[in-house]
Amino acid sequence: MWETVKKRWRAWLRAIHRDVGYLAVGLTFIYALSGLAINHITDWDPNFTTFEKVSNIEPIDEALDDDAAVRVALDRLHITATPRSTYRAGDELHLQFDNRKIVIIEDQVTDQGASPRFFLRLANWLHYNRGKAAWTYIADAYAILLLYLACSGLFMLKGKLGLRWRGAILVGLGVAVPMVYVVWSGGPEAHNGKKAAVAVPAAEPDEPDEPDESDDEEADDGPPTRPPLPPPKPPTPS
Amino acid sequence: MRRPDLDRREFIKNAAAGTVLVGLGGALYRIAADDLTRKARAEDRSDGRPRLPPGQKVIEKLRDMGGDPGDGEAKNFSLNVHGLVKDPFVLDYAGLLKLPQVKQDLDVHCVTGWSVLGSTFKGVSLATIAEQAGVKKKVRHVIFEAEHGFTANVPYDEAIAPSVMVTYRMNGKPFSKNHGAPVRALIPDLYFWKSAKWLTGIKFVADDEPGYWEVRGYHNHADPWDEERYG
Repeated sequence: MWETVKKRWRAWLRAIHRDVGYLAVGLTFIYALSGLAINHITDWDPNFTTFEKVSNIEPIDEALDDDAAVRVALDRLHITATPRSTYRAGDELHLQFDNRKIVIIEDQVTDQGASPRFFLRLANWLHYNRGKAAWTYIADAYAILLLYLACSGLFMLKGKLGLRWRGAILVGLGVAVPMVYVVWSGGPEAHNGKKAAVAVPAAEPDEPDEPDESDDEEADDGPPTRPPLPPPKPPTPS
Repeated sequence: MRRPDLDRREFIKNAAAGTVLVGLGGALYRIAADDLTRKARAEDRSDGRPRLPPGQKVIEKLRDMGGDPGDGEAKNFSLNVHGLVKDPFVLDYAGLLKLPQVKQDLDVHCVTGWSVLGSTFKGVSLATIAEQAGVKKKVRHVIFEAEHGFTANVPYDEAIAPSVMVTYRMNGKPFSKNHGAPVRALIPDLYFWKSAKWLTGIKFVADDEPGYWEVRGYHNHADPWDEERYG
Protein backbone atom coordinates (compact mmCIF):
# COMPACT_ATOMS: atom_id res chain seq x y z
CA MET A 1 0.00 0.00 0.00
CA TRP A 2 2.80 2.38 0.91
CA GLU A 3 4.30 1.76 -2.54
CA THR A 4 1.03 2.77 -4.19
CA VAL A 5 0.87 5.94 -2.12
CA LYS A 6 4.46 6.78 -3.07
CA LYS A 7 3.70 6.28 -6.76
CA ARG A 8 0.26 7.86 -6.91
CA TRP A 9 0.18 10.68 -4.32
CA ARG A 10 0.81 13.44 -6.82
CA ALA A 11 -1.96 12.20 -9.10
CA TRP A 12 -4.35 12.00 -6.14
CA LEU A 13 -3.34 15.49 -5.06
CA ARG A 14 -4.14 16.78 -8.55
CA ALA A 15 -7.49 14.98 -8.64
CA ILE A 16 -8.54 16.38 -5.26
CA HIS A 17 -7.20 19.82 -6.24
CA ARG A 18 -9.40 19.69 -9.34
CA ASP A 19 -12.55 18.72 -7.41
CA VAL A 20 -11.94 21.19 -4.59
CA GLY A 21 -11.40 23.82 -7.28
CA TYR A 22 -14.79 23.03 -8.79
CA LEU A 23 -16.37 23.20 -5.35
CA ALA A 24 -14.79 26.57 -4.63
CA VAL A 25 -15.89 28.26 -7.85
CA GLY A 26 -19.21 29.64 -6.53
CA LEU A 27 -17.79 31.06 -3.33
CA THR A 28 -14.70 32.39 -5.11
CA PHE A 29 -16.92 34.40 -7.43
CA ILE A 30 -18.87 35.76 -4.47
CA TYR A 31 -15.80 36.72 -2.43
CA ALA A 32 -13.72 37.98 -5.36
CA LEU A 33 -16.42 40.10 -7.00
CA SER A 34 -17.61 41.44 -3.67
CA GLY A 35 -13.96 42.08 -2.72
CA LEU A 36 -13.46 44.15 -5.86
CA ALA A 37 -16.70 46.01 -5.18
CA ILE A 38 -15.92 46.77 -1.55
CA ASN A 39 -12.28 47.58 -2.23
CA HIS A 40 -13.41 50.54 -4.31
CA ILE A 41 -16.13 51.69 -1.95
CA THR A 42 -14.73 55.23 -2.09
CA ASP A 43 -15.45 55.34 -5.81
CA TRP A 44 -18.95 53.91 -5.97
CA ASP A 45 -21.80 52.46 -3.98
CA PRO A 46 -21.40 48.68 -4.10
CA ASN A 47 -24.80 47.94 -2.54
CA PHE A 48 -27.41 50.30 -3.94
CA THR A 49 -28.23 52.33 -6.96
CA THR A 50 -29.56 55.60 -5.65
CA PHE A 51 -31.10 58.67 -7.14
CA GLU A 52 -31.70 62.20 -5.91
CA LYS A 53 -33.50 64.86 -7.90
CA VAL A 54 -33.98 68.42 -6.76
CA SER A 55 -36.62 70.68 -8.32
CA ASN A 56 -38.80 73.62 -7.40
CA ILE A 57 -42.53 74.15 -7.06
CA GLU A 58 -44.73 76.98 -5.92
CA PRO A 59 -44.52 76.97 -2.09
CA ILE A 60 -47.42 75.37 -0.25
CA ASP A 61 -49.55 77.73 1.77
CA GLU A 62 -48.63 77.34 5.45
CA ALA A 63 -52.22 78.04 6.45
CA LEU A 64 -53.46 74.82 4.81
CA ASP A 65 -54.13 71.89 7.11
CA ASP A 66 -51.92 68.81 6.70
CA ASP A 67 -54.28 66.80 4.46
CA ALA A 68 -54.89 69.76 2.18
CA ALA A 69 -51.15 70.51 2.00
CA VAL A 70 -50.48 66.91 0.92
CA ARG A 71 -53.21 67.08 -1.73
CA VAL A 72 -51.81 70.35 -3.11
CA ALA A 73 -48.25 68.96 -3.09
CA LEU A 74 -49.23 65.79 -4.95
CA ASP A 75 -51.17 67.87 -7.44
CA ARG A 76 -48.26 70.25 -8.06
CA LEU A 77 -45.85 67.33 -8.42
CA HIS A 78 -48.25 65.51 -10.79
CA ILE A 79 -48.11 62.40 -8.61
CA THR A 80 -51.15 60.14 -8.71
CA ALA A 81 -49.85 57.43 -6.36
CA THR A 82 -50.93 57.60 -2.72
CA PRO A 83 -48.03 58.10 -0.29
CA ARG A 84 -47.50 55.34 2.26
CA SER A 85 -47.24 58.04 4.91
CA THR A 86 -47.05 61.81 5.15
CA TYR A 87 -45.64 64.17 7.77
CA ARG A 88 -45.41 67.89 8.21
CA ALA A 89 -43.09 69.70 10.61
CA GLY A 90 -41.72 73.24 10.54
CA ASP A 91 -41.22 74.23 6.92
CA GLU A 92 -41.00 70.60 5.73
CA LEU A 93 -43.57 68.31 4.14
CA HIS A 94 -42.58 64.65 3.82
CA LEU A 95 -44.23 62.25 1.38
CA GLN A 96 -43.11 58.65 1.86
CA PHE A 97 -43.54 56.05 -0.86
CA ASP A 98 -42.04 52.57 -1.13
CA ASN A 99 -38.31 53.01 -1.90
CA ARG A 100 -38.87 56.73 -2.53
CA LYS A 101 -39.12 59.81 -0.32
CA ILE A 102 -40.09 63.32 -1.32
CA VAL A 103 -39.37 66.22 1.02
CA ILE A 104 -40.69 69.69 0.23
CA ILE A 105 -38.91 72.53 2.01
CA GLU A 106 -40.58 75.82 1.09
CA ASP A 107 -40.26 75.79 -2.73
CA GLN A 108 -37.58 73.09 -2.97
CA VAL A 109 -38.49 69.47 -3.72
CA THR A 110 -35.98 66.71 -2.96
CA ASP A 111 -36.90 63.37 -4.44
CA GLN A 112 -34.71 60.53 -3.13
CA GLY A 113 -34.72 56.77 -3.54
CA ALA A 114 -32.59 53.67 -3.63
CA SER A 115 -32.83 50.17 -4.98
CA PRO A 116 -30.43 47.36 -4.10
CA ARG A 117 -27.96 45.94 -6.63
CA PHE A 118 -29.22 42.38 -6.88
CA PHE A 119 -26.04 40.27 -6.96
CA LEU A 120 -23.59 42.58 -5.22
CA ARG A 121 -25.84 43.43 -2.28
CA LEU A 122 -26.17 39.71 -1.51
CA ALA A 123 -22.49 39.01 -2.18
CA ASN A 124 -21.39 41.91 0.04
CA TRP A 125 -23.77 40.78 2.74
CA LEU A 126 -22.21 37.33 2.66
CA HIS A 127 -18.67 38.73 2.39
CA TYR A 128 -19.14 40.92 5.47
CA ASN A 129 -20.82 37.95 7.20
CA ARG A 130 -23.59 40.27 8.34
CA GLY A 131 -26.02 37.38 8.71
CA LYS A 132 -23.63 35.46 11.02
CA ALA A 133 -25.14 32.13 12.17
CA ALA A 134 -24.17 29.20 9.90
CA TRP A 135 -22.38 31.41 7.37
CA THR A 136 -19.42 31.70 9.74
CA TYR A 137 -18.86 27.94 9.40
CA ILE A 138 -19.36 27.99 5.64
CA ALA A 139 -16.82 30.82 5.33
CA ASP A 140 -14.42 28.87 7.58
CA ALA A 141 -14.82 25.78 5.41
CA TYR A 142 -14.19 27.85 2.29
CA ALA A 143 -11.03 29.32 3.83
CA ILE A 144 -9.81 25.79 4.60
CA LEU A 145 -10.55 24.73 1.01
CA LEU A 146 -8.51 27.68 -0.24
CA LEU A 147 -5.64 26.66 2.01
CA TYR A 148 -5.85 23.17 0.57
CA LEU A 149 -5.79 24.57 -2.97
CA ALA A 150 -2.73 26.65 -2.14
CA CYS A 151 -0.85 23.80 -0.47
CA SER A 152 -1.75 21.13 -3.01
CA GLY A 153 -0.88 23.54 -5.81
CA LEU A 154 2.69 23.63 -4.51
CA PHE A 155 3.20 19.92 -5.08
CA MET A 156 1.05 19.15 -8.11
CA LEU A 157 3.96 19.24 -10.55
CA LYS A 158 7.49 18.02 -10.06
CA GLY A 159 10.78 19.09 -11.59
CA LYS A 160 11.55 22.39 -13.31
CA LEU A 161 7.91 23.42 -13.59
CA GLY A 162 7.38 22.61 -9.91
CA LEU A 163 9.09 23.81 -6.77
CA ARG A 164 12.57 23.12 -8.17
CA TRP A 165 12.53 26.18 -10.42
CA ARG A 166 9.51 28.04 -11.87
CA GLY A 167 7.24 27.18 -8.91
CA ALA A 168 9.83 28.35 -6.37
CA ILE A 169 10.33 31.67 -8.14
CA LEU A 170 6.62 32.40 -8.46
CA VAL A 171 5.86 31.32 -4.87
CA GLY A 172 8.73 33.53 -3.68
CA LEU A 173 7.35 36.43 -5.67
CA GLY A 174 3.86 35.89 -4.26
CA VAL A 175 5.15 35.83 -0.69
CA ALA A 176 7.47 38.79 -1.29
CA VAL A 177 4.70 41.13 -2.50
CA PRO A 178 2.88 41.43 0.88
CA MET A 179 6.17 41.40 2.80
CA VAL A 180 7.68 44.22 0.73
CA TYR A 181 4.43 46.18 1.00
CA VAL A 182 4.38 45.89 4.80
CA VAL A 183 8.02 47.03 5.03
CA TRP A 184 7.51 49.83 2.49
CA SER A 185 4.28 51.14 4.06
CA GLY A 186 5.46 50.81 7.65
CA GLY A 187 2.80 48.20 8.49
CA PRO A 188 -0.07 48.57 10.94
CA GLU A 189 1.90 50.61 13.45
CA ALA A 190 2.48 53.40 10.93
CA HIS A 191 -1.26 53.53 10.24
CA ASN A 192 -2.49 53.36 13.80
CA GLY A 193 -1.90 57.00 14.49
CA LYS A 194 0.96 58.66 16.23
CA LYS A 195 -0.59 58.74 19.64
CA ALA A 196 -2.70 56.46 21.74
CA ALA A 197 -6.32 57.22 22.42
CA VAL A 198 -6.75 60.51 24.17
CA ALA A 199 -6.83 59.91 27.87
CA VAL A 200 -10.09 61.24 29.16
CA PRO A 201 -10.08 61.73 32.89
CA ALA A 202 -12.33 59.35 34.74
CA ALA A 203 -15.27 60.74 36.59
CA GLU A 204 -14.44 62.29 39.88
CA PRO A 205 -16.19 59.97 42.31
CA ASP A 206 -16.21 62.32 45.25
CA GLU A 207 -17.69 65.22 43.39
CA PRO A 208 -21.01 65.96 45.03
CA ASP A 209 -23.96 66.36 42.74
CA GLU A 210 -27.29 67.81 43.61
CA PRO A 211 -29.40 64.92 44.80
CA ASP A 212 -32.44 64.37 42.65
CA GLU A 213 -34.50 61.55 41.23
CA SER A 214 -32.42 60.87 38.17
CA ASP A 215 -29.28 60.68 40.31
CA ASP A 216 -30.87 57.97 42.40
CA GLU A 217 -31.85 56.03 39.32
CA GLU A 218 -28.28 56.09 38.07
CA ALA A 219 -26.96 54.94 41.45
CA ASP A 220 -29.31 51.96 41.37
CA ASP A 221 -27.95 50.92 38.02
CA GLY A 222 -24.55 50.13 39.50
CA PRO A 223 -21.31 50.85 37.67
CA PRO A 224 -21.65 51.46 33.95
CA THR A 225 -20.77 48.40 31.96
CA ARG A 226 -19.97 47.86 28.30
CA PRO A 227 -23.27 47.43 26.48
CA PRO A 228 -24.08 44.09 24.90
CA LEU A 229 -22.91 43.78 21.31
CA PRO A 230 -25.57 44.97 18.92
CA PRO A 231 -26.60 42.91 15.93
CA PRO A 232 -24.11 43.28 13.08
CA LYS A 233 -26.13 45.56 10.87
CA PRO A 234 -24.52 49.01 10.87
CA PRO A 235 -22.69 50.16 7.79
CA THR A 236 -19.01 49.96 7.12
CA PRO A 237 -17.42 52.56 9.38
CA SER A 238 -17.22 55.86 7.62
CA MET B 1 3.19 20.52 -37.60
CA ARG B 2 2.71 24.25 -38.25
CA ARG B 3 4.38 26.52 -35.68
CA PRO B 4 1.83 28.88 -34.05
CA ASP B 5 2.07 32.59 -34.99
CA LEU B 6 2.53 33.55 -31.37
CA ASP B 7 4.40 31.34 -28.93
CA ARG B 8 3.71 31.21 -25.19
CA ARG B 9 6.72 33.32 -24.23
CA GLU B 10 5.76 36.06 -26.65
CA PHE B 11 2.14 36.01 -25.50
CA ILE B 12 3.13 36.41 -21.84
CA LYS B 13 5.51 39.27 -22.70
CA ASN B 14 2.82 41.13 -24.65
CA ALA B 15 0.21 40.56 -21.95
CA ALA B 16 2.58 41.86 -19.24
CA ALA B 17 3.49 44.94 -21.29
CA GLY B 18 -0.20 45.67 -21.95
CA THR B 19 -1.04 45.33 -18.25
CA VAL B 20 1.76 47.71 -17.24
CA LEU B 21 0.64 50.29 -19.81
CA VAL B 22 -3.00 50.15 -18.68
CA GLY B 23 -1.93 50.36 -15.04
CA LEU B 24 0.33 53.36 -15.63
CA GLY B 25 -2.38 55.10 -17.66
CA GLY B 26 -4.91 54.55 -14.87
CA ALA B 27 -2.52 55.82 -12.21
CA LEU B 28 -1.67 58.93 -14.24
CA TYR B 29 -5.36 59.62 -14.83
CA ARG B 30 -6.14 59.35 -11.11
CA ILE B 31 -3.29 61.66 -10.14
CA ALA B 32 -4.13 64.24 -12.79
CA ALA B 33 -7.86 64.18 -12.07
CA ASP B 34 -7.56 64.71 -8.31
CA ASP B 35 -7.58 68.51 -8.25
CA LEU B 36 -9.85 68.71 -5.20
CA THR B 37 -7.37 66.82 -3.04
CA ARG B 38 -4.42 68.86 -4.29
CA LYS B 39 -6.18 72.14 -3.52
CA ALA B 40 -7.29 70.98 -0.08
CA ARG B 41 -3.74 69.91 0.82
CA ALA B 42 -2.58 73.49 0.30
CA GLU B 43 -5.11 74.89 2.81
CA ASP B 44 -4.97 75.21 6.60
CA ARG B 45 -7.80 75.38 9.12
CA SER B 46 -8.24 78.25 11.54
CA ASP B 47 -6.76 76.06 14.30
CA GLY B 48 -3.53 75.71 12.30
CA ARG B 49 -4.08 72.08 11.31
CA PRO B 50 -4.06 71.21 7.61
CA ARG B 51 -7.54 71.24 6.13
CA LEU B 52 -7.12 67.71 4.81
CA PRO B 53 -5.98 65.11 7.35
CA PRO B 54 -3.23 62.72 6.25
CA GLY B 55 -4.22 59.79 4.06
CA GLN B 56 -7.48 61.39 2.90
CA LYS B 57 -8.73 62.01 -0.63
CA VAL B 58 -11.38 64.62 -1.37
CA ILE B 59 -14.55 63.52 -3.10
CA GLU B 60 -17.60 65.56 -4.00
CA LYS B 61 -20.39 63.83 -2.09
CA LEU B 62 -20.89 61.36 0.73
CA ARG B 63 -20.34 57.72 -0.14
CA ASP B 64 -22.85 55.14 0.84
CA MET B 65 -21.10 52.72 3.14
CA GLY B 66 -23.72 49.99 3.04
CA GLY B 67 -25.45 48.34 5.96
CA ASP B 68 -29.12 48.12 6.79
CA PRO B 69 -30.57 51.62 6.98
CA GLY B 70 -32.82 52.71 9.79
CA ASP B 71 -36.49 53.55 9.42
CA GLY B 72 -35.61 56.87 7.80
CA GLU B 73 -39.01 58.52 8.29
CA ALA B 74 -39.21 61.84 10.10
CA LYS B 75 -42.69 60.90 11.30
CA ASN B 76 -41.26 58.03 13.37
CA PHE B 77 -38.18 59.89 14.63
CA SER B 78 -37.62 59.96 18.36
CA LEU B 79 -34.48 61.13 20.16
CA ASN B 80 -34.02 59.96 23.72
CA VAL B 81 -31.74 62.31 25.67
CA HIS B 82 -30.81 60.52 28.88
CA GLY B 83 -28.09 59.34 31.24
CA LEU B 84 -26.49 61.60 33.82
CA VAL B 85 -28.80 64.54 33.24
CA LYS B 86 -31.16 66.44 35.48
CA ASP B 87 -34.00 66.62 32.94
CA PRO B 88 -34.02 63.68 30.52
CA PHE B 89 -36.35 64.24 27.59
CA VAL B 90 -37.54 62.71 24.34
CA LEU B 91 -37.68 64.80 21.19
CA ASP B 92 -39.70 64.13 18.08
CA TYR B 93 -38.79 65.61 14.70
CA ALA B 94 -41.06 68.64 15.08
CA GLY B 95 -39.57 69.24 18.54
CA LEU B 96 -36.05 69.12 17.12
CA LEU B 97 -36.97 71.74 14.52
CA LYS B 98 -38.27 74.03 17.30
CA LEU B 99 -34.94 74.11 19.18
CA PRO B 100 -32.43 76.88 18.38
CA GLN B 101 -31.01 76.04 14.95
CA VAL B 102 -27.44 76.30 13.67
CA LYS B 103 -26.10 76.20 10.12
CA GLN B 104 -22.40 75.50 9.61
CA ASP B 105 -20.01 74.80 6.76
CA LEU B 106 -18.03 71.74 7.82
CA ASP B 107 -15.68 69.05 6.50
CA VAL B 108 -16.17 65.35 7.18
CA HIS B 109 -13.53 62.60 6.99
CA CYS B 110 -14.23 58.90 6.56
CA VAL B 111 -11.89 56.32 8.06
CA THR B 112 -11.83 54.53 4.69
CA GLY B 113 -9.95 57.50 3.23
CA TRP B 114 -12.43 59.91 1.69
CA SER B 115 -13.30 63.43 2.81
CA VAL B 116 -16.13 65.74 1.78
CA LEU B 117 -15.31 69.40 2.33
CA GLY B 118 -17.34 72.52 2.95
CA SER B 119 -20.86 71.11 3.11
CA THR B 120 -23.51 73.17 4.87
CA PHE B 121 -25.18 71.27 7.70
CA LYS B 122 -28.28 72.45 9.53
CA GLY B 123 -29.40 71.17 12.89
CA VAL B 124 -29.15 71.67 16.61
CA SER B 125 -25.89 72.08 18.45
CA LEU B 126 -25.16 69.27 20.88
CA ALA B 127 -24.26 71.89 23.47
CA THR B 128 -27.86 73.18 23.26
CA ILE B 129 -29.22 69.68 23.87
CA ALA B 130 -26.79 69.15 26.74
CA GLU B 131 -27.81 72.45 28.28
CA GLN B 132 -31.52 71.67 27.98
CA ALA B 133 -30.99 68.27 29.59
CA GLY B 134 -28.92 69.73 32.44
CA VAL B 135 -25.82 67.57 32.19
CA LYS B 136 -24.36 66.63 35.56
CA LYS B 137 -20.82 67.43 36.58
CA LYS B 138 -19.78 63.75 36.53
CA VAL B 139 -20.28 63.45 32.79
CA ARG B 140 -17.11 62.71 30.80
CA HIS B 141 -18.45 61.00 27.68
CA VAL B 142 -21.36 61.14 25.29
CA ILE B 143 -22.75 57.98 23.71
CA PHE B 144 -24.59 58.45 20.44
CA GLU B 145 -27.18 55.72 20.02
CA ALA B 146 -28.67 54.70 16.71
CA GLU B 147 -30.90 52.16 15.00
CA HIS B 148 -29.94 48.46 15.20
CA GLY B 149 -28.20 49.07 18.53
CA PHE B 150 -25.30 51.01 17.00
CA THR B 151 -23.39 53.25 19.40
CA ALA B 152 -20.43 55.63 19.11
CA ASN B 153 -18.59 57.17 22.05
CA VAL B 154 -17.15 60.70 22.12
CA PRO B 155 -15.40 62.51 24.99
CA TYR B 156 -17.80 65.08 26.45
CA ASP B 157 -15.44 68.03 26.02
CA GLU B 158 -15.21 67.28 22.30
CA ALA B 159 -18.93 66.55 21.95
CA ILE B 160 -19.92 70.01 23.12
CA ALA B 161 -17.57 71.78 20.71
CA PRO B 162 -19.45 74.39 18.64
CA SER B 163 -19.14 72.31 15.47
CA VAL B 164 -20.82 69.21 16.93
CA MET B 165 -24.48 68.94 16.14
CA VAL B 166 -27.50 66.79 15.56
CA THR B 167 -28.23 67.42 11.90
CA TYR B 168 -31.10 66.82 9.51
CA ARG B 169 -30.07 68.78 6.42
CA MET B 170 -26.94 68.82 4.28
CA ASN B 171 -26.57 71.48 1.60
CA GLY B 172 -30.22 72.44 2.02
CA LYS B 173 -31.49 68.92 1.41
CA PRO B 174 -32.70 66.27 3.84
CA PHE B 175 -30.45 63.24 4.31
CA SER B 176 -31.33 60.28 2.17
CA LYS B 177 -32.17 57.05 3.95
CA ASN B 178 -28.74 55.52 3.32
CA HIS B 179 -27.00 58.57 4.78
CA GLY B 180 -28.83 58.53 8.08
CA ALA B 181 -32.26 60.07 7.51
CA PRO B 182 -34.01 61.66 9.14
CA VAL B 183 -31.42 62.75 11.72
CA ARG B 184 -27.78 61.89 12.29
CA ALA B 185 -25.06 63.04 14.64
CA LEU B 186 -22.20 65.15 13.30
CA ILE B 187 -18.80 65.26 14.97
CA PRO B 188 -16.71 66.71 12.14
CA ASP B 189 -13.34 66.58 13.86
CA LEU B 190 -13.46 62.82 14.39
CA TYR B 191 -13.70 60.10 11.76
CA PHE B 192 -17.17 60.01 10.31
CA TRP B 193 -18.27 56.69 11.84
CA LYS B 194 -18.59 58.60 15.13
CA SER B 195 -21.32 60.70 13.46
CA ALA B 196 -23.96 58.03 14.02
CA LYS B 197 -26.60 57.73 11.30
CA TRP B 198 -30.27 57.05 12.12
CA LEU B 199 -29.81 58.66 15.52
CA THR B 200 -32.16 57.49 18.28
CA GLY B 201 -30.51 58.63 21.49
CA ILE B 202 -27.86 60.68 23.23
CA LYS B 203 -26.62 59.34 26.53
CA PHE B 204 -24.39 61.30 28.89
CA VAL B 205 -22.16 59.05 31.00
CA ALA B 206 -19.30 59.25 33.48
CA ASP B 207 -17.31 56.26 32.26
CA ASP B 208 -16.43 55.51 28.68
CA GLU B 209 -18.49 52.93 26.81
CA PRO B 210 -16.64 52.00 23.61
CA GLY B 211 -19.11 51.82 20.75
CA TYR B 212 -19.93 49.37 17.99
CA TRP B 213 -16.86 49.85 15.83
CA GLU B 214 -14.61 50.76 18.76
CA VAL B 215 -14.97 47.24 20.21
CA ARG B 216 -14.37 45.78 16.76
CA GLY B 217 -10.86 47.06 16.26
CA TYR B 218 -11.39 50.70 15.35
CA HIS B 219 -9.78 53.45 17.37
CA ASN B 220 -11.55 54.58 20.52
CA HIS B 221 -10.91 58.25 19.82
CA ALA B 222 -10.67 58.51 15.99
CA ASP B 223 -8.82 61.79 15.37
CA PRO B 224 -8.23 62.02 11.59
CA TRP B 225 -5.22 64.32 11.96
CA ASP B 226 -3.46 61.68 14.04
CA GLU B 227 -4.76 58.93 11.76
CA GLU B 228 -6.39 57.18 14.68
CA ARG B 229 -8.05 54.64 12.44
CA TYR B 230 -7.50 51.35 14.25
CA GLY B 231 -7.15 50.57 17.92
